[in-house]
Formats: sequence, C-alpha cells, structure tokens
Amino acid sequence: MTVPALELRGVRIRHEGAQRFTPDGVDLLVHPGESVLVLGPSGSGKSTLALALNGLVPQEVPAELQGTVRVRGRSTAGTPVARLSEHVAMVFQDPDAQIVTATVLDEVCFGPENLLVPVDEVLERAEYALRRVGLWERRHENPDQLSGGGRQRLAIACALALRSPVIVLDEPTANLDPRGADEVYAVLGELGADRTLVLIEHALDAALDVVDRVVVLDRSGRLAHDGPVELLRERADELLALGVWLPSALLAGLRLRDRGFPVPEAPLTPAALTTLLDSLPAPAAAKATGASATVTPDAHPAAPRPGSSPAPPARVAVSARGLSVSRGRTRVLHALDLDVTAGSFTAVVGVNGAGKTTLLQALAGVAPPPRGTVDVLGLDPARADARRLARTIGFVFQNPEHQFIRSTVADELAHTLELQRLPRPAIDEQVERMLVRFGLVEQRAVHPFLLSGGQKRRLSVGTALLAGAPVLALDEPTFGQDRARARELLDLLSELNRGGTTVLAVTHDLQLVADHASHVLVLEGGRVAAHGPTAEVLASDALETAGLTASPLTRAFRAAADPAWHGVTRLADLDALHPSDA
Amino acid sequence: MTTAPGPDPFAAAPPPRGRFLHALNPLAKIAGPLPAIVAVLFAHTWALPALLATGSLILVLVGARLSGRALLGLLVVLPLATAVLTLSFAFWSDGGRASATPLLVELGPVRLHEGALLAGGATALRLAAILLLSLVGGLSTTGPDLARSLVQQLRVPYRVGYTALAAYRFVPRFGHELDVIRQAHRVRGMAPGRGPLPALRRRAGYLVPLLAGALRHAERVALAMDSRAFGAHPTRTERHLVPWRRRDTVFVLLAWLATALAIALAIAPADLIAQKV
Repeated sequence: MTVPALELRGVRIRHEGAQRFTPDGVDLLVHPGESVLVLGPSGSGKSTLALALNGLVPQEVPAELQGTVRVRGRSTAGTPVARLSEHVAMVFQDPDAQIVTATVLDEVCFGPENLLVPVDEVLERAEYALRRVGLWERRHENPDQLSGGGRQRLAIACALALRSPVIVLDEPTANLDPRGADEVYAVLGELGADRTLVLIEHALDAALDVVDRVVVLDRSGRLAHDGPVELLRERADELLALGVWLPSALLAGLRLRDRGFPVPEAPLTPAALTTLLDSLPAPAAAKATGASATVTPDAHPAAPRPGSSPAPPARVAVSARGLSVSRGRTRVLHALDLDVTAGSFTAVVGVNGAGKTTLLQALAGVAPPPRGTVDVLGLDPARADARRLARTIGFVFQNPEHQFIRSTVADELAHTLELQRLPRPAIDEQVERMLVRFGLVEQRAVHPFLLSGGQKRRLSVGTALLAGAPVLALDEPTFGQDRARARELLDLLSELNRGGTTVLAVTHDLQLVADHASHVLVLEGGRVAAHGPTAEVLASDALETAGLTASPLTRAFRAAADPAWHGVTRLADLDALHPSDA
Repeated sequence: MTTAPGPDPFAAAPPPRGRFLHALNPLAKIAGPLPAIVAVLFAHTWALPALLATGSLILVLVGARLSGRALLGLLVVLPLATAVLTLSFAFWSDGGRASATPLLVELGPVRLHEGALLAGGATALRLAAILLLSLVGGLSTTGPDLARSLVQQLRVPYRVGYTALAAYRFVPRFGHELDVIRQAHRVRGMAPGRGPLPALRRRAGYLVPLLAGALRHAERVALAMDSRAFGAHPTRTERHLVPWRRRDTVFVLLAWLATALAIALAIAPADLIAQKV
C-alpha cells in the first residue's frame, strides 16, 4: 500500500482572535499523482487549509489546529516547516512576496541550497526546473524584470527544484492578467502525473484543464462535496447556491440550455464550449429586442449596458487634448486626445507599461498634467487645489491603505468634508449617511487599517465620493482581491454608475470589462488604440492588436465556426438569444 | 548535464578587470580602513584626516569601478561640501582661543580668524576622511557579498545573514510605495501648506501606511522563505564562495601600515608638517 501524499483527519483551524473554526472538520485523502482543486465561498477557509498542508499553520501562523495533517506520513505538527518543504512545496498568490534573491538562478537554487544539496546537483536541479517553466534563458536577470506570469512561473520552478512530490498553489493567478494566467496553467499542465497538486483557484476556466478532482468546502468550512471534475456539472445548482464560482463555459452552457438550445451535456472548459457551439443550431436574437437575427457588433441584442445612455448627444465628463506625460526621460503618453462620455463606465485597458495608470493619474490630477491639456467638467486638474479637485473627481488608489490619513473610519470620511469647510452639523449628517450606505456603521470608531479588505475598499470609495465628485477614477480596483470581493466592489460601482456617477477604471480583468463597462479605452504604447462602446471594442481585434488576451468566455465564442456567436462577450448576452429553428 | 566545452552557463558577470578593490573580500575592505577611521575620530589636527582622505580617495579612484555620478560626487561635490563645512564650522567655533590668531577677513560684524578657519577645516576634513574611508569598501562591495562573507568568515548564523539579504529587496519596493502614498495623501489634502510644521505632519502620516505595508510584506516573504527550507539545517550549501585569500591579508596589513605611517607623519615635529592646533 502506498503512503498517501496528504492525509487530513478532522482538521479544524481557528485563527487567533477568530470566533469560528474554518475549515471545520475536513477529512481528505490525496493519493500521489492526483490533482485536487479546492473550491468554496469566500471565508470557507480554503487558504487557511493550504497553509496547514506544509505546517505554516500552526507552526508560524498564529492559529489553533485540531485534528491531524500528514504529508507522506509525517505529521505537520511534529516536523518543522523547513524540513517539510522536502515533501510539500508552496506557491503563493503574490509573486512579489516570494522572491528572496537578486537573480532568477539564485532564486531557484535557494531551496536546494537550504537542504544542503551539493553544488553540482543544485545547478542540475536549477537547470531542469528553469527549462520546465521556460526561464532558463533569463537566469541571470533580476526577477523584478519578469512579468507577473513570469514571476509566478519562477515560483513554480522553485517548487520543482525542491523536488517535493506535493505542490500546493494558493490562488496562483489572482494577481495576473489573462496572459500571465495562461502561462502559469500551460506550465502546470505539463508537469504530468509525477506530482501531486493541490490548487486553490477562482479562475476555473484555465484550472480545470489541470485537475482531476474537486473538493468543495461550504460556508461554515465543512466538506460539502468531493469527487471528479464532472461534479461541477452534476451539482451546479447546489454549488451556485453555496456561493462557489463555476467555470464560465459551464455557466454559458446552462444558460444556452435555458434558452432552449439542445445542450446534452454542459461544457466545463472553453474548448468544450466551442465544440458545443459548433453542434448547436444558429442563434437568433429574441423578438422582443427587434434586433437583427445574429449577434453582430453593430446590433448588439443584449439589454442596454449599465451607463450607456440611450440618448445619442452625450455630454463629455473628462477630455484630454494633446496630453503628453513623461516619467524621467521616457515619454509615457504621446499627445493623447480623448473624450470620456458623462455617465459612462469607462474601462482603461492595456498591457503593462502601456501608460494606463499614468493616464488615469493625469486625468484625475494625482500627478498634475501639463496645463491646459485636461478638462474635467470645466476644471483643469493642473491648476486645481485638493479641495476643488475633490469636489470634481474622486480618486481611489490601488491599495486603499495608501490614502487613509485619519485614525477612525468616521474621521476618515469627515476629512473630505472638513477640506470643503462645511459646517460641523452638515459634516456629521453626511458622514452618517455614508456609513449607512457603505455598511460601516458598526466600524465608525475603528482605525481604518483594522478593517477587513472589503471594508477598506468600501471606505476608500466612500471618501472619494463624499465631496460630491460626479467623476470617480479607480486604479486597478480589483487587483489581488478574491472573486467575491471583486464582485462586491463592482456591484457597488455599477450602482453608483446607474445613479449618474461617471466611472473611469484602469483594469486588467477583461471579463470585468465585458460584464460592467459601457465603454472601453485601449491604450497601446502611450497612445489610444481604440475607444468606444464595450461591445464594439470587444468584437473588434483591438485587444489582440494591443497585446491583450480576451476573457476565456469571449475567446470560446469567437472560436465558434458560425460568426453569429462571435459577438457574445458576457453571459448576459445569451439571454437575448434563442435557437433559430425554434 | 552536458560537459561540452564552452562558457559556464551558470557564471555570473565577471568582475571588472584591473579594479582590484572589487576582487577583495568585503571584510578586508572593512578591516583595512577601520583603524584609520578610529584614528580620525580621535585626531584633532587637520594633517591626519587630510592625509587619510587623500589616500583613500586615490585608492577608490584607482581600485573601484565608478559610475559618472560617483565620480562627480567624489571629485566635485565632496570637495565643495568640505569647503562649505569648513566655513560654517569656522563661524560657529568658539571665538575665545581663535581670536588670538591673526585676523583673515573682516566684513562688518563678521570676523574670521586664522585659528577658527583651521579648527573648522579640521572638523570638515575629519568628516570627509571618515566618509572616504568607508567608501573604500562601500563603492566596491555588493550587499549580497557582504552578507555572504559575514556568514562565511565571521560565522554569523545564516538565518540572520540571508534575512538581511532578502531585506535588501525591500528597499526599492518601499521607495515606490512611499511615492504612491505621498501622491495619495496630497490628493486627499493631508496637511496642506508650506513650512516645516506641515511638512513634518505629512511625513508622520506616511509612516503608518508604509509600516503596515512593510510588516505584511515581510511576513509573507518569511512564510515563503520557510516554505523553501530556509533554516532546515544549521548550515547551507554555498554556491558563491567569498573566500579570504592571501591578497586580503596583504591588503589589510598594507592599509594598517599606511595608517600608522600617516599617524607618524601627522604628529611629526612642526617643522616637518605645518601643524597648528
């Protein structure tokens, strides 16, 4: 009988200061060569479980562990983390927070060196690992020069160099753009059956190609399901009710079936979705919309996107004329001209270094643009002081902590109004309203830094809005957040947008763009490559030309043989379709 | 792995040729100038710091590969700063003893005596000498090499040495983070206004977010390091050896000899070296 790769018996974990145990009573047996995907709603303890698999819980993270965790027969309570690393390697979410040395090669050698492996073998392992992830040619570079995807591949190479048979990956693609995520899964897909993988992931479309078993935790941290990948299809309704994210291909298949298409078996992967589409009757737009028979960029049959105003003569909220910005000696933006429609939800996309953040900061006056190049509702951010700027355009930084300057939540909100020199009673009243609106009433006296991640984000949006700014600019608002938190924020932004706020957001999440944005602005090399209504831009090849990769859902529909499917970029688009012969 | 002839695929960039300081052990470059630094701390004349400053300047110019900025700093900024400091210290210094010495300049109420100028010059030169002596190692040593030699020669536990190494990576990250925080606080109208008081309040406000971010980052890096067997054994394999060679011993002994010589010259009879207190 072989020793199980991982053996969990009645595992309950409670973080120091927490009330509940999450996970709560997990029994799990993982055999060598298996690839297990752990799913569960936010707060079910997936990441905590991952930390317990190599002994970080309870040895280094202050938490109470009940039950036993064994890695290839060794108890994680009795074996130090450093020694366990010979048996189980970890890849964490943040690629920046797992780099120790100054070159790619040194980084891969770090683990084996710690295990007293002789120099020749260290180098042999390093070469093998770097070749497996395609970084051998870049071994002398500083890891900082790699892309996010490159750094995560480096982290996988480090795990390979340790020769640990088990690799645990905790949301390895949450901080990556679609291209980086593809790179990571291409590498994982080639590892083969000699490794045992435990994967925690929200972006299921790519992940399902590399796993063969799914384990689901429920909201209270108990084991809800354990079985083959097909479980996702068979228990789709239950899983959705649990708050578990399902692959977008599966959701698309289920929607198509609801719309009357003959779907014998809902697809799990984008490739399977494309195969399914090719077997279906051609889609036609529902009669009610009165649109043409096929989904085309010109006649998008979906319900009007939030923010896209029906009236054609749209007002302009933000405009730039000949906007050029340099950082040091490099010119980042080249004489940009653009007009952002008032009331729109405009997403700014582009590859790293395209100038997205620089553009947003110039438009919002965070880094003042050259005078006379930018106009925000009649205000030139280059000449405005903090007070007038705050009344016109609110800015939400990528990390909300950066912009907190007071010691309680209520003061933080009040600060914006004090800057406007409002009378005290008016300030108190507005702060109160904002606390209620953003669900922070109970936290009014808490230090902003002690809020949860989602609360911090809501507070930062609240402070940006409080001065009454009709335009809200956000820099990567969902970066590094889990899916549930990202959706919470986007629902909030969509709600504000429906209320009339113009939203301008830099993002790399193209599914977010498809689902929420009314307009897309594609930047390439500091110039505007495309700018227009979302459906038009997504249906063109502007994204690919600018070096971006569309979301897995968009790509799956584009890959279908019948061009009638090509305009579908989000699940909601399917609600307007029905089989043409029905 | 193949053993085909050719360049070693693992080799890092070769050290710059002809610049001997880079080829020395980092500890040698600390041990060599150390007695000189101590001597300068206790020296009250201008002769010793002048000799040692000149000596170490020549050593750095000949022995280290210098960027244009470093050259500019050494040859232009440093002499200028020394001159400015000399004058400032001269005006601050106690006029009592110096007023007995010849008067050099008189501009209205400002009177500069020779004694004050010499005392100011000595202080400025001492600072310059200490800086230059520490630059002997500073301009030709990388942080990782220093950490490695601390572990390899001084037997500093490797957990300490390599944690310092990892912390090296934090510096540029925090610099960038500080920039972002500064922007964010400016936009939010944190302590606007000119002058030292608002500036101080602004700086204090940057600390909390910077520290919170730093602690979280450090914690994550620590977990990642331990997950990669950091500290599994009392020692670890060293790929980069930073050996102590004979030339390191020679360098240290020569540096000490030169220091002794400089001290002897500096306290030599007044008719050999123009020495005044």
